Amino acid sequence: MNDEQKIEKLKSMADPAAVAHPAPHRIFVGVEPGKLVALIGRMKAELDQWYVATISGVDKGESYEILYHFGDTSGSITVRTKIPKADPRLPSICGVIPGAVLYERELQDMFGIVVDGIPDPRPMLMPDDWPAGNFPLRKEWKFERPAEVIPGGKK
Amino acid sequence: MKFNIPIGPQHPALKEPISIRLTVEGEVIQDADLRLGYNHRGVEKLAEEKSWIQNIYLTERICGICSHSHSTCFVQGAEKLLEIEPPRRGLYLRYLVSELERIHSHLLWLGVAGHEAGFDTFFMYTWRDREVVMDLLEMISGNRVHYAINTLGGVRRDLDEDLRKKILEGLVVLKKRSEYYFKIGASEPTFVGRLAGVGRLTLQQAKDFCAVGPMARASGLARDIRKDDPYAFYNEVEFDVATADTCDVLGRTVVRIKELFESYKICEQILRKLPDGPVAVKAPRKAKPNEVVSRYEAPRGENIHYIISNGTEKPERLKVRAPTLANYPATIEILKHGFIADIPLIFAAIDPCICCAERSVEMIDARSGEERTLRFSDLRRMANERRRTLPLQRNVAWPF
Repeated sequence: MNDEQKIEKLKSMADPAAVAHPAPHRIFVGVEPGKLVALIGRMKAELDQWYVATISGVDKGESYEILYHFGDTSGSITVRTKIPKADPRLPSICGVIPGAVLYERELQDMFGIVVDGIPDPRPMLMPDDWPAGNFPLRKEWKFERPAEVIPGGKK
Repeated sequence: MKFNIPIGPQHPALKEPISIRLTVEGEVIQDADLRLGYNHRGVEKLAEEKSWIQNIYLTERICGICSHSHSTCFVQGAEKLLEIEPPRRGLYLRYLVSELERIHSHLLWLGVAGHEAGFDTFFMYTWRDREVVMDLLEMISGNRVHYAINTLGGVRRDLDEDLRKKILEGLVVLKKRSEYYFKIGASEPTFVGRLAGVGRLTLQQAKDFCAVGPMARASGLARDIRKDDPYAFYNEVEFDVATADTCDVLGRTVVRIKELFESYKICEQILRKLPDGPVAVKAPRKAKPNEVVSRYEAPRGENIHYIISNGTEKPERLKVRAPTLANYPATIEILKHGFIADIPLIFAAIDPCICCAERSVEMIDARSGEERTLRFSDLRRMANERRRTLPLQRNVAWPF
């Protein structure tokens, strides 16, 4: 299936204005978070998109942009959705694509996004003693090295 | 009676510390769980504070074996954002290094597989021959591990005629040796018998868990970014996607040996067609606001970088996904209903560089709570013991 056929199909599934084709083999499609799982389900059924390469999160100031990178034997489709920073909730796509669980856990760790319905919500990347409420890939988060304390050293 | 076995995570020499918790009943693994993040270095956050050129060297340090993969994946994305086109000769040299790296990585893996299967002669042979390709890489780039040959707009070093001949000579040696490995694999029944049927991943599982690279290809999925989404000049070179349909460690071995031959083929074509001209163009410092999805076929599978530029000399966001991470969900599935003694082989088969080093395994008796600590070498001894006591699978054949 070539790019044009994929775009044709995607336009029937999502808002035609949200489908972009910036480069050969690269298709971007925007969708609201509420319709995300339905779109991915249709993409899997009708476009044979069972492979999620990864999920990227981007801090856009007032909102987070979440990008689901799909790949098949003729290029890649990226599904993008936006969620407000005040209420960062996202539906899980693991019901459709079980292999996405690690990437969703990564989103939870790095951005503090709550993924509803994720089969395994445990932290994945951060250490066990990581302070709650610290999400490193948020733009406002800055690393501050804790003061070095030598046990038994001078005060 | 059930036992819990935590494997890992700590070893200072490891590139990728990982903790695996297994629940076993008798010798059969009932459940497996994974804990990552023991070596999380915050590369993605750091990349936002480095310039485009500095990020090449940062991404190169993501991996210690396929270092060129990450920097190439980043550079080919960054070049699109900076709107520059590297000269043909630069591209040819960049992907020559990339194929040589694939050869060295697969030879390294073959050695590890032989070692874990108790076939140490194979390990000695492959690692000796790996030195040939390591020397070639050193002659091209000046380095054995981090080649640092990529730059924005091309490569940093050129090749002369003398070196071109040396690489072609090296390839002849490697090709001859690889043919021998292929033959030895086929004619050594204990080796084939040990690998066959271990770590089954069906085609449906490979699809469900989004497996990549030789893992997916050994389950019959002909997926290769070089074919599916050709970057640079890969639509002009001739090669085949190596697959196997045995869905086990044997298949993953065969796929990797076949990929060696494909890489030799690609290297020869690159060297034969090597165009004249400059190797690099000058790159601007700033990139206009844009975004790019860059995909690259690393030795272990698909490598994907998503890069956003914001008009400054630093990226707004760099998302990196290495192939080993993509293979973890499938590995958990494979481990279930496998044997303890097969853990080293199954783990070696996804090529995560975990089994290369000595690991410590703690066995906790679920009933008495008594702990005993096993070193990875003990585990390997158990694996070799199992190989010796295993009834030889005589009807298993090398899938040509």
